[in-house]
Amino acid sequence: MAQLTSIEPAIRATDEEVQRLCEFLYRRTGMSFSIDKRYYIDRRLAERIAVTGSSSFQSYFALLRSDVDHEIEHLVNAFTVNETYFYREEHQLHCLTAGVLERIVSTRPAGAPIRIWSVPCSTGEEPYSIAIWLLENWGQVDAFDIEIVGSDIDTRVLEAAISGVYGKRALMRLSATVIQRYFEPIGPGEYRIDPGLRDSVQFHRVNVVDPQQTAAYRDFDVIFCRNLLIYFDDASRRLAAENLYDCLRPGGYILLGHSESMSRISPLFDVCRFPDAIVYQRAEGGHDNQ
Amino acid sequence: MPLIKRGSASGTRLPTSAETPPRAASHASLASRLADLRSAEAERRWRAARALGRDPEVVPALAAALRCEPVARVREAITTALLRIGTEASVAVLIDCLRCNDAGLRAAAIEALQALPTAVRPFVEALLADADSDVRILATELMRNMPERDVTELLCRLIEHEPHPNVCAAAIEVLTEAGTSDAIPVLEACSRRFAHDPFLPFAISVAIARISGTEG
Repeated sequence: MAQLTSIEPAIRATDEEVQRLCEFLYRRTGMSFSIDKRYYIDRRLAERIAVTGSSSFQSYFALLRSDVDHEIEHLVNAFTVNETYFYREEHQLHCLTAGVLERIVSTRPAGAPIRIWSVPCSTGEEPYSIAIWLLENWGQVDAFDIEIVGSDIDTRVLEAAISGVYGKRALMRLSATVIQRYFEPIGPGEYRIDPGLRDSVQFHRVNVVDPQQTAAYRDFDVIFCRNLLIYFDDASRRLAAENLYDCLRPGGYILLGHSESMSRISPLFDVCRFPDAIVYQRAEGGHDNQ
Repeated sequence: MPLIKRGSASGTRLPTSAETPPRAASHASLASRLADLRSAEAERRWRAARALGRDPEVVPALAAALRCEPVARVREAITTALLRIGTEASVAVLIDCLRCNDAGLRAAAIEALQALPTAVRPFVEALLADADSDVRILATELMRNMPERDVTELLCRLIEHEPHPNVCAAAIEVLTEAGTSDAIPVLEACSRRFAHDPFLPFAISVAIARISGTEG
């Protein structure tokens, strides 16, 4: 997570300027923030204004629009929590078991495969979280063959994911019981994930913008693709959305980060509102919109 | 444990992190992909459009396909292909779509063109002067990702003499996001010119507030 200064910002944007920033961010990235989150926006905006040496909001906004030195990416980084940990955005895991999977299995015979893809998976916290969550919270977990795949473009983080060693901070959202059940302490503040659980997640390198690389990934029922598309330019984002569409089984679901909106990114998916989260769905076969 | 183990027979064979991913199975020729673009099956047209997104020579075929494509996702793939090609010829195809009657196609073309601000720039002045007010409205949208100086100069030039309130409203909306303070005198003049319009003076007050950073 970016370090935020606790001092009062030297330049404080007005409500009108924050509104302008929010509309720009939504249009360019699909990230949605509103003026009622000023407490969240102000510190991050002030940090970027300071780091870029901008003399005013106006000069910073001009720099942002021109994407000088990848400023859009830097701002997105400041607005997203880059640190990853187990059970991050837990409401989406609730949504997975209480909504998405229940719908999927309603038309699937017992014993059928269910395929879940976490991309980008970084150092493995997300796909392992999905595995633990299913084992702990989904009553039908024994009735289906569940395959979990984690992918990232960065082979270094994949190696860390496969090693399955985590610090105490990554486990902060897990109960003592869950930690005891799935982790083994291996040193001061260090834990190794249970070998059985570790072997239940496959890790592979992939670039989601490359259609030839994603061609090997098909028939997923659920894709977790959180806080990735916001970093792409428009052309790459459209291409990634089309690739992810092809990776899903007809009727499959894609979950984005809590501030992201696929509706802004691509018209390929239908919006599904579950009690815990908004999810996007590839239409069932034969239901192409005219 | 009900979760499928890595390397188990029931799991899917995917490339490992150390492997080069397999190339796409299809090595179809250009000719067969172009034929697929005219297939009666939407899935084949979708795959053909997705596979044709790099070759500038296929722009005429993509253009022909786009004009008659009824399925939204295939249209999306064709516009993405034209966007990826990104040449003057592919931009011209997308600009032609601004004149079509299909709102979905117009919207898809706008989104693709907004991603190509440099390639679109040479076309913009003519579009802003088009005889069709609907084309002028869409042309203002194309300017959102252009440099502030260009946005301000071209849209101020437009609204100084633009008779159609809806075109002015569209230009004002873009200036609200991307204009500089140089636009304020022109916006004020526009507000006076359309003083009796039920919407424009309000939209202009919001634009001036956003541009100047003061409350409206």
